[in-house]
Amino acid sequence: MKRKTPVLIGMTAALALTLTACSGDDGGSDTPPAAEGPVTLTLAGWSLSSTPEFQTLADAFNEENPDVTVEVQEYAAGDDYDTQMTADLAAGTAPDVYVLKNLKNFFTYQSGGQLLDVSEVTGALDPSTGGLDAYEADGASYAVPYRQDSWVLYYNQDMFDEAGVDQPDGSWTWDDYEQAANDLTDGLEGDARGTYQHSWQSTVQGFALAQSGGALDTADYGYLEPFYDRVLDLQDSGAQVDFGTITTNSLTYQAEFGTQKAAMLPMGSWYVATLIAQQASGEADEFAWGLAPIPQVDSSTTGTDATPVTFGDPTGLGINAGIDEEKIQAAQDFLAFAAGEGGANALAEIGITPALLGDDVVDTYFGLEGMPTDDLTRFAFSTHETLPENPVGASTAIVQNILGDLHSAVMSESTSVADAISEAEARAANEAGIS
Amino acid sequence: MATIAADERSPGAVGPGPDGPRTGRNRAGRKLKLRNTLIGWSFILPNFIGFAVLTLIPVFALFYVSFTNWNVFGAAQWTGLDNYTRLFGDASFQKALFNTFYYSVFHIPLTLAASLGLALLLNRKLRGVAFFRTVAFFPYITSVVAIAVVWNMLFSPEFGPINQFLRAIGIDNPPGWTTSATWAMPAVILVSVWREMGYYMLLLLAGLQTVPAQLYEAARMDGANAWQRFWNVTLPGLRPTMFFVTVMLTIQSFKIFDLILVMTNGGPGQSTLVLSQYIYQKGFVENQFGYASAVSVALFAICLVVTIIQFIANKRRES
Repeated sequence: MKRKTPVLIGMTAALALTLTACSGDDGGSDTPPAAEGPVTLTLAGWSLSSTPEFQTLADAFNEENPDVTVEVQEYAAGDDYDTQMTADLAAGTAPDVYVLKNLKNFFTYQSGGQLLDVSEVTGALDPSTGGLDAYEADGASYAVPYRQDSWVLYYNQDMFDEAGVDQPDGSWTWDDYEQAANDLTDGLEGDARGTYQHSWQSTVQGFALAQSGGALDTADYGYLEPFYDRVLDLQDSGAQVDFGTITTNSLTYQAEFGTQKAAMLPMGSWYVATLIAQQASGEADEFAWGLAPIPQVDSSTTGTDATPVTFGDPTGLGINAGIDEEKIQAAQDFLAFAAGEGGANALAEIGITPALLGDDVVDTYFGLEGMPTDDLTRFAFSTHETLPENPVGASTAIVQNILGDLHSAVMSESTSVADAISEAEARAANEAGIS
Repeated sequence: MATIAADERSPGAVGPGPDGPRTGRNRAGRKLKLRNTLIGWSFILPNFIGFAVLTLIPVFALFYVSFTNWNVFGAAQWTGLDNYTRLFGDASFQKALFNTFYYSVFHIPLTLAASLGLALLLNRKLRGVAFFRTVAFFPYITSVVAIAVVWNMLFSPEFGPINQFLRAIGIDNPPGWTTSATWAMPAVILVSVWREMGYYMLLLLAGLQTVPAQLYEAARMDGANAWQRFWNVTLPGLRPTMFFVTVMLTIQSFKIFDLILVMTNGGPGQSTLVLSQYIYQKGFVENQFGYASAVSVALFAICLVVTIIQFIANKRRES
């Protein structure tokens, strides 16, 4: 009989686990009664030790609302975040408030009924908040953006001077960029190169999609061709390290730009904080750098009196549809805070680009130690039309996978640009049902 | 005794009814049997619960899901054979299927040959044999991510040691390995043979030690040379092990996933996309769990059919 005891315990535990896992309740439709007394909200985050933004928001909110404590729960970093979040949402164990890391999976969460309607919160936000309308579906809003990174051109001023090449002045088209990359490569000593475009598909496709008016859900990807032709030219001329070397040697953009192996780097604004931190810690070399607007297709959007077009997904916060009713009010307050002035200032202080870029916020951001203070950097950081990398739609995730294959096939020069594009179009029609 | 027994059995006798004593013995026997069964069950139950909850039930669920359009959230809608008919028109699935066979057709015989060679080499009295066996087994216990990163560097087209060596011996245009659609699969096969040969070597070593020494002695007496001894003594003696190794190797090859995911991620283009990775993409990246399940069922069917063929072939050889 004794032998059966552990079995019984095991079975009871299994039963208990199964039952508790299934107890996720669905949110009611009545006006939620606000909880009396202290409330604890849970918030999802990733890589907490190196990504302080979640704790920063939680602490800043708690300071203003001592009754509400926000507890950050750690999730996997990278693509695994969405996989893990999907599993937890399906199991009913996800936190009250969770981060929408990019727009690719917003459709899945929203159409799957995993997000609470937060139109009230969105309606009260500053309309100039970046990425505000990205979370709209069926006439309602399902998340608020608290962070809006956008892609800019980082450049190493010392290397430009050394090579005797004119620094960017905000008027660059992609042709000017290509010319400068080649000139830099010729003018620089050693094996330093003009530019570094990382192996991600977005370093080519993000700009192509935003600047040439293309779309993902049309199965017409001809707009990618001039962008790929240019990158392949740069790769062939040696002004940019080739794709195979990046993937086989696991090169990082932080090391390439930070240790002055490349004079230019198109990258998202999140890298500003990293670069400042790495220069302070000695991981990156000491050199003068600045930000310039990302090069444009033609001169109609260049110059500091125009608004350059770039891309970037907002990072949003949504409320889990399975949240306890009495916590809804607190969660909505948290969203309003995070996407509003309070959250924006707290984020700018730690070098994060908030979605709300008021003058105060930009001042806070440029008050960081190690931040360049020239006018062009300020312009590049604060002025841009940022289009989404992953326009919300049912086929976005599928098409991005297909275009990811296109990217590696073209960049490794295994397939010609034209062939790869027609193959991707055929696959989009077949796999995503786009005609 | 016999009389008493007869008396007791006689009708109307006081005491236990007919078959009295036997029933008593039976009851005790049944009790013992029940007890033993329960004890037996309680031994395998912890494992069986784990197996049922984590493997058996999900497998049944998989078959069900493959007939639906489930996308993780909400209810699954029954779509009948839609997912399966879609497989036939899906060029990416066919590409993944082709690549899986491409990988297996080279990976299975090469690993078998390499591990058998190693096993024969290390099955003799050799100074430091334990050391060499450990060395051969090392790749198998090394993290696959570390393996992928290091091999990718070795394969680097411009600066990798492999291509530098090839250039040094006069090959002007060495392959692009993992950066070329043509050479990525051979590169992956090479690494996976290297990674797995140690494990199968170990199994074959164990098999080699079961071949009776007298047989070799007898063969030698008959004047058989080394090759004849290998062909007529070693190989037949190894047949049960070989069968096990081949079956395991085949299934492992069909479901290759981790190495490819970290080494090439299916690329360049779709040149190293295999079935397991396609399942992962469709399911966990694109949230088409219904379709991903249908692909899994296809993979399951392929493994099943190939294993059955191997069983039949083995039976035939045995008789």
